[in-house]
Amino acid sequence: MKRIILIMMLSATTAFSKSANSDVKAQVPAVEAKSETVLPQELKVGVKGMVCAFCAQGIEKNFLKQPEVSKVEVSLENKYVKLKFKEGKTLAKEKIVSILKESGYESVFGE
Amino acid sequence: MRLIASLLLVLTSLTVSAHPVSYKDALGIMSYNSTQMNEILLTYSLNYNYAIGHTYIREKNSEFYIPRVNWLAKRWNNEDSQGNLYLSAGSGFEKYNNVTSNVRLGEVVADWESRKYYTYLEHLYMLRDNKDNPLWPQRDDNHTKLRLGFAPFLADYNDLNIWFITQWTQHNTENIEATQFMRFYMKNVLWEVGADFNGGFAFNFMIHI
Repeated sequence: MKRIILIMMLSATTAFSKSANSDVKAQVPAVEAKSETVLPQELKVGVKGMVCAFCAQGIEKNFLKQPEVSKVEVSLENKYVKLKFKEGKTLAKEKIVSILKESGYESVFGE
Repeated sequence: MRLIASLLLVLTSLTVSAHPVSYKDALGIMSYNSTQMNEILLTYSLNYNYAIGHTYIREKNSEFYIPRVNWLAKRWNNEDSQGNLYLSAGSGFEKYNNVTSNVRLGEVVADWESRKYYTYLEHLYMLRDNKDNPLWPQRDDNHTKLRLGFAPFLADYNDLNIWFITQWTQHNTENIEATQFMRFYMKNVLWEVGADFNGGFAFNFMIHI
């Protein structure tokens, strides 16, 4: 009888253990997936050569053409452009570099 | 003397004192006006270093129609300044009374500006085939323009920007003419008002769409 009880307890422990492990494994991908979908709502990009507001109009215009971008702020004083993205959207770094180049400027990203 | 002044103004007007190439897909509309002439220049930037354009000028009995191509040959994007080298070429025609003749132009522009200072140097060469017109005896024209300016205060992107600019021009070997301009711009609209020492005035207007 003692043996039966011992076997049952071991089985139950193993079963709970497996169940707990499978729960953790199930959670990991969810956490990873969540971390991938958390995108920055805004991004500041340094811009070289941006000294004339009249000439820099293309930066704002070209970024606002992108469906991912909701707002663009340009600062000559601080030499950056600040992009605000729509919910769950972002722009790849390469795309930002390309848009700034088409606008006539050079992008600078922080470390 | 009026004829010489008119000639100078017409040739001056053929140049673009702003960037002749803008950002990709930008449409530029520029108008240069003085007591002697009117000019409208349209440009369309195919990308950040090429633009096509068309110049129309009316001066007394002459009208110029000159399609042109502008090329940004080199740009220096520095942390606090920007420098540019542009080359332009165009070919069109001039109508004087009922006579039409060919006109070709080539232009080199170099500029450097920061938020505080502005420099601009340009040389324009024109070849005109209007040999039978006694009012325009010279067929090869060389025109040089130098502009130096400063901003009395540092304005930011959404502010009204104000500049004081002095312009010196020389046509062939004639005397150098000086004009003082005040330049204003806000967002995508720029305008300049100017006066020279002979009582003449100038009004320039530019917009990027």
